[in-house]
Amino acid sequence: MDRNQLTKWFKAPTKMAHKYSLHAVYFCTGCGVIEIPPTITARWDAERFGVIPAATPRHANLFLITGYVSVKTLRAVIRTYEQMPEPKFTVGFGSCPINGGMYWDSYNTINQLDKYIPIDGWIAGCMPRPEAIFVAVTHLWTLIDKDMADGYKRYRKHYAQYRANQEQVLGELEWPPLFQSEREG
Amino acid sequence: MNDSPMNGQLKKKLDSVFRDIETDVSDDGRLTIHATKESVLTVLSLLKDEGWSFLQLVSCVDWIKQDEIEIVYVLSSYVGVEDGPDAKGEPYAKGEPDAKRESILLKTRLPRSEPSVLTAIHVFANAEPYEREIHELFGVHFEGHPRLTPLFLDREYKIPPFRKDFDTEQYVKDVFDSVPPIDEES
Repeated sequence: MDRNQLTKWFKAPTKMAHKYSLHAVYFCTGCGVIEIPPTITARWDAERFGVIPAATPRHANLFLITGYVSVKTLRAVIRTYEQMPEPKFTVGFGSCPINGGMYWDSYNTINQLDKYIPIDGWIAGCMPRPEAIFVAVTHLWTLIDKDMADGYKRYRKHYAQYRANQEQVLGELEWPPLFQSEREG
Repeated sequence: MNDSPMNGQLKKKLDSVFRDIETDVSDDGRLTIHATKESVLTVLSLLKDEGWSFLQLVSCVDWIKQDEIEIVYVLSSYVGVEDGPDAKGEPYAKGEPDAKRESILLKTRLPRSEPSVLTAIHVFANAEPYEREIHELFGVHFEGHPRLTPLFLDREYKIPPFRKDFDTEQYVKDVFDSVPPIDEES
């Protein structure tokens, strides 16, 4: 263990534990997911950074959205995000979730993902290299240290707005609201 | 214009059987057939019997200025070298392609207002997903198709999105850009 970080471990043990066990949900959208297999296997070995893919969203706390999100995918993205236990962190990967990228005028691709679910950080580029994922992970550590990776708290707080936006694009959603009380308040 | 022997034969046969089609052999020996929508199925089944037994794809073109929609069937055959005119397996000289190894284009034009054509599933079963896709993206109705249900899209469009008069920029402005950003201050 790094001796310099010992004080951090004593101050906020849960935060440190979250930092070094990021379980990324296996969710493949768009073309960016082609970068994930080399990232998690021997070539770049994401486990050095504590990032391991998790089989189900209920066991994961990191959500990498790896490319363009079509309307149909958005439904799955929201369902997956809502199933993940808190604290959970989302990272938009590539330029398509940021502003649509090359699909900015597509009839079926949503342009800004952060209108529908909260995003903690973005990786720009088309495509970003696997190294960019590690840069993002180290940035995410800093954000967790400073309590700035608070996407899940924002989702709770502004859930009514998020739900309204989701319904505006997807129509009637077939699952009940995640946070009942906050919606009325 | 180059009439390779096989294509010439097939062209003659088609011309003698059908009155309402136009055949055309391009410079590289590829046969293009323009058929009316009534004769599409009979031409398809005749070509299938002649050895073009594989439907590569069904495609669609929106000719907005002519106010027509064109369905394109691309057929090819699995005939190898030994079945062709050159049984020794030597490579063909340029400009003398083996007609059976060329694909055939069968085109038909439909009116743009209510495009409708008989389904080709009974001749080529693999036409099913192509026709479903064309129905969804171009709004062409295929009579006799067992399930013209949505394939890719999740929402309703007033104009099918692959038609030329579908304004994607305006659509994005109306649908996706009108979603407000999350107001974090409130």
